[in-house]
Parts: sequence; C-alpha cells; structure tokens
Amino acid sequence: MQGLYDWILNDSGIRIDVIIEYFPLFMKGTLYTLGISISGILIGCILGLIIAFGKMSRLMPIRLPFVWYINFFRGTPLLVQILIIHFGVTPLFIAGASPIKAVISAIIALSLNSAAYLAEIYRAGIQSIDKGQVEAGRSLGMNKVQTMSYIVLPQSIKRMIPPFGNEFITLIKDSSLASVIAAPELLYWARAVNGKFFIVWESLLFIALIYLVITLSLTYLLNYIEKRWNIDDNR
Amino acid sequence: MITVNNLKKSFGDNEVLKDINLQIKPQEVVVIIGPSGSGKSTCLRCMNLLESITAGEVHIEGVNLTDKNTDINQIRTEVGMVFQQFNLFPHKSVLENITLAPIKVRKWSKEKANKVALDLLEKVNLSEKANAYPDSLSGGQKQRVAIARALAMEPKIMLFDEPTSALDPEMVGEVLDVMKQLAKEGMTMVVVTHEMGFAREVGDRVIFMDEGYIIEENVPEKLFDFPSHERTKSFLSKVL
Repeated sequence: MQGLYDWILNDSGIRIDVIIEYFPLFMKGTLYTLGISISGILIGCILGLIIAFGKMSRLMPIRLPFVWYINFFRGTPLLVQILIIHFGVTPLFIAGASPIKAVISAIIALSLNSAAYLAEIYRAGIQSIDKGQVEAGRSLGMNKVQTMSYIVLPQSIKRMIPPFGNEFITLIKDSSLASVIAAPELLYWARAVNGKFFIVWESLLFIALIYLVITLSLTYLLNYIEKRWNIDDNR
Repeated sequence: MITVNNLKKSFGDNEVLKDINLQIKPQEVVVIIGPSGSGKSTCLRCMNLLESITAGEVHIEGVNLTDKNTDINQIRTEVGMVFQQFNLFPHKSVLENITLAPIKVRKWSKEKANKVALDLLEKVNLSEKANAYPDSLSGGQKQRVAIARALAMEPKIMLFDEPTSALDPEMVGEVLDVMKQLAKEGMTMVVVTHEMGFAREVGDRVIFMDEGYIIEENVPEKLFDFPSHERTKSFLSKVL
C-alpha cells in the first residue's frame, strides 16, 4: 500500500503535486460554483413561478411576453445567453472587468435561463391538480390566491420535486460555462492549471470528481425529501 | 332566497341551459331530477358561479351574482357546496379540511374553528376520524366530511351536486341520513340527485329538467304520482 502511494506520488508521472498546490484555488472555485448555482436556483425558482402564472393567464396580451420569454431562453444556447448578458447587459450597471462582474453575469444568465425551464415545471405541476380541488376551495369562499397557496401549490410541489431535481443538477453542471467569461469557478481554475503546467487529466478529472460529489449529494437530498414527504402522506 | 331569472348557459356552441326560472324560499328543500345532460348540475353550479352565466340573472338573498360589483367570495361563504367527487383536500387531515376556510376566510381563531369542526364531526358521526387523512376514509365517510366542511362556514344555503352518485350502494344511506337531518334543522337546500326516495321523502318541491329547460315542478307526491308531462312520465317510468 505504502509502495503504491509512493509510486503515484513520485514515479507515476501523475502531477498530484499540482493539484495539492492549487488545492486552495480549487476550493475557492468550488465555493463560486456552489454560490453561482445556488443563487441561480433560488432566483430561478422565484422568477419561474411568476413566469408560470404569467403563461397561465387567460389574457393573451399578458400571456404572450411570458410565452416568448420561455421560447427565447429554451430555444437559444445558454452559452450565447451568457455572452450576451456578460458583454451586453452587465456592463450597463457595472463598469470595467472584474471576477465579481463575471460571477454576477453568470448568476443573471443562469437565473433567467433556469426560470424558463422551472416555469414549465411549475405550470405542469399546477395543472396536474384536479380542478375539483380548485372548485372546492373557491366554493368555500377562498379567493384565487388563497386557493392556490393553501390547496393547489402544496399538492403540486410534491409532484414537482423530481423534475426540479433534474433542473438543479443541469444548472450546477451548466455553471461551468461561466468559465468562458472568466468567472473564477471550478472549470476556470482547472483550465488555468492546464495552461500553466501543460497537463490535462489531473485537473479536469479532479474537478469532474468535485462536480460529481455536488450533484450526487443533491440527488440524495432530493430523494430523502421525496421519501419523507411520501411517509408524511401515509399517516 | 334564490331567484333565477331567464338563466342561459352555453359551452361554446352547445346551449346547456336554455331558459331557467326558479325561486327558492328560505328553509325550502328543492330537489332537481332529470336525465344526464339535462343541465341540472350546470344549473346548480350557476348558483354559486362555479359556472359563468351566459345570460340571465341569479340572485342570492337579493344580491345579483352577475353584477360586476358583487364580491363572489363573500356570496360563496353563505352558499355551501357538496360535490359528487367529494373534492376533499388530500394533503390535509379531516380536521384541517374543515377548519381551513373558516380560519382563512372567516378569520376565526384556530380554537374556535377546531371546536366548530369537532361539533360538526360529531353531527356526521365521524368524531374518531378527526386526525385521519382523506385517503384512509370510505366514500361515505369522505362525503360526510365534505358536508361538515361546507357546514363549517355556517352557510345559509347548501347546494348538493349528486352527492351520492359516486358512492357504493351500501354507503348511500349514511350520507342521505345526514342530509335529512340537515333538512329537518331548516337548512335551505338545493339537491341534484338520482335518489328518488330521498326526493320524495325530504323534498318540499321537485323540479324535473330536460334538455336545458325546467319541464315540470311540483310537490313530490304530485310530481311522482301524477306527472303532467310526457317527458316526466317517460323519465320516471325508467327510474322508479
């Protein structure tokens, strides 16, 4: 065992030392990846709910902009959206170039993009609830907002968890696209190491492992929540 | 208490209610019968505006439902409704099903709502199910909870939309018993049903509808035993 360890470290040619040297920066990158992803998920969830209600409006003039919002953000590449926002939108309120500016651009782009997908998940979830539930609520004198928040949403959120999980995992992986605008997240540091030491495998496999740990943790967390919810239901 | 004037209702090109005129007095129990597709459920659902009204007027205690200034949520607190499919809230316990609207709409305290709910559960013989969830109840129990839920708002009128049609035969009786009790206590009730025995026994007046019209209305003894229209006769001969 000791022999294998020594071999990997000293004679294998695998540049573990580079990973160790850059470890603090990889950790910093992990924090940025998590920060960008979590911000994107939170803002996307709120924005997505608004867009979902907009798209469900019975009034065509209200519905139309939301329909096209979804068409645009689902129908164009995320990478293009990131570039448009970073070089077109963010400069309108942040001058110069800085890592923070790139991070903000990434959060904006991922939020707007995931909102489009999440809106469709919300809408499908809400519309999957039997309309008798709404009628029961309304017949008791509850208004639309009360019926939605006490009766429809609590029932539909449970059905939304699996597709939400997929979307969150996609978003975490897509946050790596922010490396093209030099947001200092995981892939940015991996490519920095690639460029400096002319190595490929070590840094890329290392960050792939970190992404895997993050997405698998999220999968387990969501499975746990889903299971808990089902147990609660069978009281 | 309820006045319906020249009510018309269309779904697209399909005119379901053609010209409905109806008066319902306080404490009256009116039973609406008729073949499926006759518009009886739609007529009932127009009385609390669960269906929008195409033409004509519905007045509840003098308030015009189609008036733009009418607060329909306010009206609905006075008009309870019981559905064929129960429509209990599956994510809430029996007690929470009953107390939700009183707490959120009537702004009652939780204590008061719980007390009223438990009294109502006793009335429908389901005290022991207060903390159960709807999925664990039988059809008859679900419908009794649904009646208790509607009553918790202390409505002045109760609408019943085929309340026993989705029940197994042996559970029909327990639901009808609760409704009879309610009628005895003087609740104003409009009941759409296929239970002719109930109509005859409890109804103050029976209305026969077909193809969007009220064909005939009368006290149950007369309507059932001496129907005056051919359509009524032919319908009754099939169901009695």
